Amino acid sequence: MLTVGDSRDRPVTWQLTGHARRLLTLAIAGLVITVISRRAEFAGLAAPALLMLAGRHGRRPASICVQIGVDSAPLTEDDEAHAQIRITAPSGGSKGSSLFGQASGGSRGSSPFGQHGSGQVLVRLTADPWISAGEAEPMKDGWFRLPFVPQRWGVRSIGSVEVTLYDRWRLEQARLTIPLPQVTCYPKPALLRSQVVLSKLPSRLGEHASRLAGEGVEFAGVREFTPGDRQRRINWPATTRRGTLQLNIFNAERAQVTVLLMDVSTDVGETGESTADLAVRAATGTAVRYLAARDRVGLISFGRRLDWITPAVGRRQTERILHLITSKSASGHPLDVVADLPHAALPPGALVIVFSPLLNLRMVEALRGLRERGFATIVVDVLRVPRVGGLTRTKALADLATRIWRMEQDAIRFSLRELGIPVVTWDGQSPLDEPLAPFTRRPVVNR
Amino acid sequence: MTAARRYLAVALLSFGIALWAGLPLHQAGRLGNPGFFLALGCAALGLLRLLGEAAMPNLPSRSEWPYLPATSRAWINGVSALVAIPWPQLLIVAAIGLEALHPRRPWHTAVLGVVLIGYLITLHLTESNSRLATFRPQLPLIIAGLGLAAISVGAAALPSGAGGTGSGWLAVLAAIAAVIAAALALPI
Repeated sequence: MLTVGDSRDRPVTWQLTGHARRLLTLAIAGLVITVISRRAEFAGLAAPALLMLAGRHGRRPASICVQIGVDSAPLTEDDEAHAQIRITAPSGGSKGSSLFGQASGGSRGSSPFGQHGSGQVLVRLTADPWISAGEAEPMKDGWFRLPFVPQRWGVRSIGSVEVTLYDRWRLEQARLTIPLPQVTCYPKPALLRSQVVLSKLPSRLGEHASRLAGEGVEFAGVREFTPGDRQRRINWPATTRRGTLQLNIFNAERAQVTVLLMDVSTDVGETGESTADLAVRAATGTAVRYLAARDRVGLISFGRRLDWITPAVGRRQTERILHLITSKSASGHPLDVVADLPHAALPPGALVIVFSPLLNLRMVEALRGLRERGFATIVVDVLRVPRVGGLTRTKALADLATRIWRMEQDAIRFSLRELGIPVVTWDGQSPLDEPLAPFTRRPVVNR
Repeated sequence: MTAARRYLAVALLSFGIALWAGLPLHQAGRLGNPGFFLALGCAALGLLRLLGEAAMPNLPSRSEWPYLPATSRAWINGVSALVAIPWPQLLIVAAIGLEALHPRRPWHTAVLGVVLIGYLITLHLTESNSRLATFRPQLPLIIAGLGLAAISVGAAALPSGAGGTGSGWLAVLAAIAAVIAAALALPI
């Protein structure tokens, strides 16, 4: 939904265009040569330029009225979005009327602003580096549509709009740079269709069939009828076969508590494909998937500070999680607290899915602590080993350093596996189902 | 008209102006050669400036310069200097100067005037990415200007009597007065 701000008058300063300066040069040079050489044909050479310059004394507005509209709903990476800007006559004059008759791209706008003649408005979106901007499209009533595609998540400014006003004769122009407001862009969620489900689920109603008998819909077997059982659950074919009353029993349906641990304390790699980018996309995709399955989902953000959202269900929880992922607030707790997180943030029996490049040793220690506390933990490794470049002379040294570094990384991952923490690697491109496949086929056994 | 065609038109017109005003070189006297090469240089650099502006619309601001490598800074300095100098204006002055160095040839000067106006209009359309229709309101003025140019050229082409210096000055002043009067009198 587009939120349109108040219209504001902005003063404009008119100055000669490059075209006018060149015409002036031609006219003056022609007349000077006429006088110096006493050759009348040079006056003729200056005549068209002089006549074209004669139109300069038109009235031009001293200010324009600018109104900006931006999507109030959060955006998502790589989704098309647009802002709008309206350039009209100053509010003191004929309010609401379009300033000039012709809009950018040459298409006709609405009624011209009669008091100041006609002219042209050119609008260009100068986008910040995280945005891919399109061509401004003129619309009705002085509005311009500014399409853009956000290419990185976060709360960022779109950029600014450069408005260029030309008078009717193209001899004077006014430039105006109008900053656009910030927008919130959510990360593009990683694709996840399946779910990792624990073997023992807490006793909360949900949609996962547990091993315990209960009020679910998944058939578990039959047993003999005992007084007090519901008669509608009697299995008549089994009763006929066995000669005694038999009752259908069903698996109880439970909700799982899933806590996502997003490690953005280190950010390695190219912008847009860095470890932090991959971690937030994976966390977003997982949160959306589990919340859609009516599980209780919480998030622990392990960045410069530690921040968390306690597990909950519902649409509002999705918004809270996405807000925490995109915001870069300096609030939170010291990273040491991760080993002593309150039960509300990390309830017993929760499945902990960690998205981390495992470059921060505090995170590795925190994982060991989680395992010691009995949490079923899965680590999704988002580190993509960079390609080593360099000159031939330094290549051998770089290769050696890379080998040592890789061995260290392998040792960290091996030590985690030895503790019973599986580590899977995600490349950021494929669906998350692929690395998590070994854990989605059957329930993960937890203590 | 596509952008490539516009750039081609600007290139042809700018080099055409330099060649038209400069040739034949032997008639232009001592200053002919340097003037001709100056005009050619202005045409080439003006074209380079136009292409540079299109290729790099957003040069880093000065506040970002300290974070750039020295080669990038030198490159940006060069491009900024190239863009800052008004090469088309220098080309106009050089072309008119070259034309004045040649002996009197009124019809040749008139053609140069027409080509110069065409060059300025094409250059502006290319710079602002506008359509030719932008200049439709100015069409009467351009036609009136070309008419005045024709009259001036006609007057210059008439065989002059033995009037001496005074009559020459009078003709020049009359031409200038006619141009200015037309500029003031035209209803805009």
